Amino acid sequence: MKPFNEQNYYEVLEIPPDAGPLDIRRAYKANFSLYQDDSLASYSFFSEEERTEILSCIEQAYLTLINPEARKAYDQSLILAGLLDAAGTFRDRTKEPIAIYEFQAAGRNGSSLAKRSAELKQRIAQTPAIRRLLSQDTLAGSDLREIRTVLEVPLEEIAERTNIRIDTLQAIEAEQVECFPPLVYLKGFLRAYSRCLELDAGPVMDGYLRKLGFL
Amino acid sequence: MRQVSIVFGRGRSGQGVAEPANGMASPVSQIWPIGGGKGGTGKSFFTGSLGFLLARQGYRTLLIDVDLGAANLHTIVGIPNPPMSIADFINRRVGTLEETVVPTALPNLFLISGAMNNLDMANLGHEQKMKVLRGVARLSYDYILLDLGAGTAFNTIDFFLISQTGVFITTPEPTSIENIYRLIRSVYFRKIHHVLKTYDFKALADEAERRNPKAIVSNPDLLLRVMGELDPEKGSLLQQELGSLHFRLVLNQLRKQDNHSIGALICKIISKHLALRMEHIGNVGFDDRVHSAICKRTPFIELYPYTQTALDLRECCRSLLPANKEAERRLHGGAD
Repeated sequence: MKPFNEQNYYEVLEIPPDAGPLDIRRAYKANFSLYQDDSLASYSFFSEEERTEILSCIEQAYLTLINPEARKAYDQSLILAGLLDAAGTFRDRTKEPIAIYEFQAAGRNGSSLAKRSAELKQRIAQTPAIRRLLSQDTLAGSDLREIRTVLEVPLEEIAERTNIRIDTLQAIEAEQVECFPPLVYLKGFLRAYSRCLELDAGPVMDGYLRKLGFL
Repeated sequence: MRQVSIVFGRGRSGQGVAEPANGMASPVSQIWPIGGGKGGTGKSFFTGSLGFLLARQGYRTLLIDVDLGAANLHTIVGIPNPPMSIADFINRRVGTLEETVVPTALPNLFLISGAMNNLDMANLGHEQKMKVLRGVARLSYDYILLDLGAGTAFNTIDFFLISQTGVFITTPEPTSIENIYRLIRSVYFRKIHHVLKTYDFKALADEAERRNPKAIVSNPDLLLRVMGELDPEKGSLLQQELGSLHFRLVLNQLRKQDNHSIGALICKIISKHLALRMEHIGNVGFDDRVHSAICKRTPFIELYPYTQTALDLRECCRSLLPANKEAERRLHGGAD
């Protein structure tokens, strides 16, 4: 057992090195009240100077550990001194984004997105079926789905990128008019849909709306 | 089972190990000194109840009242006028301590009373004390409970240090807690004193005081560190001796409105700041009927077996028994 003034902040507060802010606060509160003047359990055990010293030590431990930057620096100094394993330090898991779909893990950064759009454009140019569908005067929901299937873009990816609900996208492809949003939204959604597939938004929107008789 | 040893400078340490008790598993008596610093915290009551519980479980149990000068354990176990007492042994009226043992109404429960008529018997001389300590070590029972007096006189502390497994009793009041800390520190110093010879201790204390004049009384671990620097060999011996101590704490007379975690907190402070092993055994609830049981001179456990306090006492007894400790340790996969 180390003497009190040689303990590190985690030992002072009696918490594991990976404790979260809530645990730190709780431990601080418990220790703070234990070493108070009016605490029954520590009555007469410490002299006034000892009590003040211990309390200031607890205070310092708390203020360091509760502040993320100060804590990181303190952990770093412990790791350098060989007193702490880097793997055992606290990591704030709440700040990390939660992946909803698996494909996101493949490429989230900008360069791979650009690569994907170039790939789509190339495939559109090379596929006569798509060009034939796009050259039609009207564009049915099933045509949109066909283009999307040929380009191998899942509906979930469009929903994820555009924040449009997936059942709305399904309704657009199935031409379920009763599930449509108001026209002004529908137009916006079609524009976003086309952008995801690297299609020219104007002709797609016009063709689709003409097919449904909205134009 | 833990070996009983006496670590006194002039004591015949290691000798006087008891013969195996008839038909019982333990070859060595388990000695539990029960002390508490302040008077009226329930030392005698707890000793009596514990002895009663152990005896009922079939252990041959001996209660020794070493609160000389203010003995009343005999009253608690219902023997108002014990025919023999420890004084007969000290004054050489009988040859061995065993001859002063008085049986009680309960089979398996025995008593060595501390009641005596001599006026100066409260102040044992060193030789008399050593005689009693050696006598206790020669006794052969399953459990020997020593009911210690209040205060921190050397006699009390030496009886406390007869075994490594002393039990402290306190109530959740500042006065009582103050005294328990006083007693624990005294025991700590006395233990260091016993391990080192007197002149070593004096040199050590002087050196420690020179380095840190204010902290010596409140910070006994300072002594240890100074000793480690002065003489590493003796320092580690001291560490080892102090590390072998394993005290227990019972919080008595706990009222409903009291903080129930106070026992655990006291143990935490002791182990954190004195580096002593201290285990909180349990809380014993306050009950007005304890008073009436003592007035009727009947064991409380027998008179009111279905009260919370009786339940608490049984729980304390259960967690004090080393056999149960072993079983528990096995159950929880080796956790201490």
